[in-house]
Amino acid sequence: MSARNRELVNLVVVGALMTLGFASVYIALSEQVSTTSLSAAGFFFALYLIAHLVARSTVPHADPYLLPMTALLTAIGLTEIYRLDADDAFRQGIWVVVGVALFASTLIVLRHDFRRLEAYRYLFGIGAIVLLALPALPGIGATVNGATLWVRAGPIQFQPGEFAKLMLIVFLAGYLQEKREVLAQGRLKDFGPLLMIWGGAMLVLVQTNDLGSALLYFGIFLAMLYVATGRVLFAALGAALFIGGAVVVHQFVPRVQERVSTWLDPWADPEDDGYQIIQSLYSIANGAFGGTGLGRGTFYNTPGGGNEGEPLIPFAKTDFIYSALAQELGLIGVSALLLVYMLFVLRGMRIALLAGDGFSKLLAAGLTFGFALQTFIIVGGIVRLIPLTGITLPFVSYGGSSLLANFVLVAGLMLVSNRANARAA
Amino acid sequence: MSTVDVDEALLVLKIAFLVLLYLFIWRIVRTASRDLRLPQESFVLTPDGARERRERQVAGRLVVLESPSLNAGHAVGVDSAALTVGRGAQNDVAIERDDFASASHARFLPRRDGLWLEDLGSTNGTFVNGARIPAPRRLAPGDVVRIGETELRYEI
Repeated sequence: MSARNRELVNLVVVGALMTLGFASVYIALSEQVSTTSLSAAGFFFALYLIAHLVARSTVPHADPYLLPMTALLTAIGLTEIYRLDADDAFRQGIWVVVGVALFASTLIVLRHDFRRLEAYRYLFGIGAIVLLALPALPGIGATVNGATLWVRAGPIQFQPGEFAKLMLIVFLAGYLQEKREVLAQGRLKDFGPLLMIWGGAMLVLVQTNDLGSALLYFGIFLAMLYVATGRVLFAALGAALFIGGAVVVHQFVPRVQERVSTWLDPWADPEDDGYQIIQSLYSIANGAFGGTGLGRGTFYNTPGGGNEGEPLIPFAKTDFIYSALAQELGLIGVSALLLVYMLFVLRGMRIALLAGDGFSKLLAAGLTFGFALQTFIIVGGIVRLIPLTGITLPFVSYGGSSLLANFVLVAGLMLVSNRANARAA
Repeated sequence: MSTVDVDEALLVLKIAFLVLLYLFIWRIVRTASRDLRLPQESFVLTPDGARERRERQVAGRLVVLESPSLNAGHAVGVDSAALTVGRGAQNDVAIERDDFASASHARFLPRRDGLWLEDLGSTNGTFVNGARIPAPRRLAPGDVVRIGETELRYEI
């Protein structure tokens, strides 16, 4: 079976999964069977069919599993958001449509040779810094939940950081490909421009008060530096540098101190600082092994206990969607979800392995590692492995910026994969 | 619909959902494990020097059989560097009087596993032993490559 036919078969499986998920939420909430779930799943399947057809004509040799896995993750996200809030599910559905359109146009624009991006690497570097700095500008920047990450322009608001991440990866791929020979020799002066750009990025991040993203960007940087030079020492030094920096920041920023103490002992202040994480842990525990079933989880205060109808988990649709899924699908369900993320990363790493030239290899490795690290940071934060930082779970969380950026990321991986596989065919 | 029916329906749906989810994962894992048996390259980029040493093993030459621009019997040596062919003067092998060749027509890429030929989006295509190549292709010694009206034979 050809790669694209395999993709189609897997998309059909995802369409069936979405139908089952929607049907079970609908039955649980309204106690009746309806064709609404079928038509929603049908629309969703048609949308991915278009994405599949675009892939068929632009990247025929690309990896056949990335698109179905993307579809599966968005389907699970949409189902859970629909279960929590039907209006938000509709908005998220529109974002998926826009995301697929962006995915298709990325493939069409770059179908001949994505490597021409390499020539514009410095433009991407500057673009990333501008995007990162945007939320800090007075007038258009906005602070939500203590992190200055948003830009508001009229009715539209978005998180430019999500796109800055992609631009930084393109910049780093081009830059490291150009300089990796001299960097591998380890002379200090060659690191000048790199440290400068990264110092700038870190400064912006400390100012925006969002440390999860700082960890994400720095992690991507270290991983790509390792792929480019093959020097473990650099990665170790970088990690030490980051830990040192984090300790210093911990001394001076109260918000960070609060996060760390909440991580170590959330029960010290269960009504306030520890509230989110404790509620989320109860939600996961309530799911146990098999889960309550889609649509049967408890997310709102029940009548009679005061605060009736108030949500039990704050930000259940965005940062904490993993705990909502853990309650309804149980350990067995979220294990499958994490397996899908692992397989996505596995395919990405394989694309990096097979990529022919340095730029493609670095690009694929950077995109994959960024995806993996983001998933690790949010899921690790929710299960209290690391301090919690509010970032999105790729493709599943409610939120347009993250969804669009991740669709571009998948398109990028498929372009690299198409080129590598076409060469081998 | 009674409550018992709803619970039963939900249980069936839940099990079906999980079974399908793991089926999907299994399908991908099966292929992924098949990939592991393919030859592996390193994830980390090798220094350029080391790569060139390996690639220098691919040596050989391209002998002109027929061309409006080059003399028959003329040989172009192949080492570790890529060779571009086309009507434009910037090419390593410039065939300026071959009107059927594109400005940037094709490229020979020496790799560890042999010499590869890649069409660079030419108008009239690149042919190996009379067949147009849709994708980059590895050449075997004795293969005859046609670019425009120029024919080259790959020899070791």
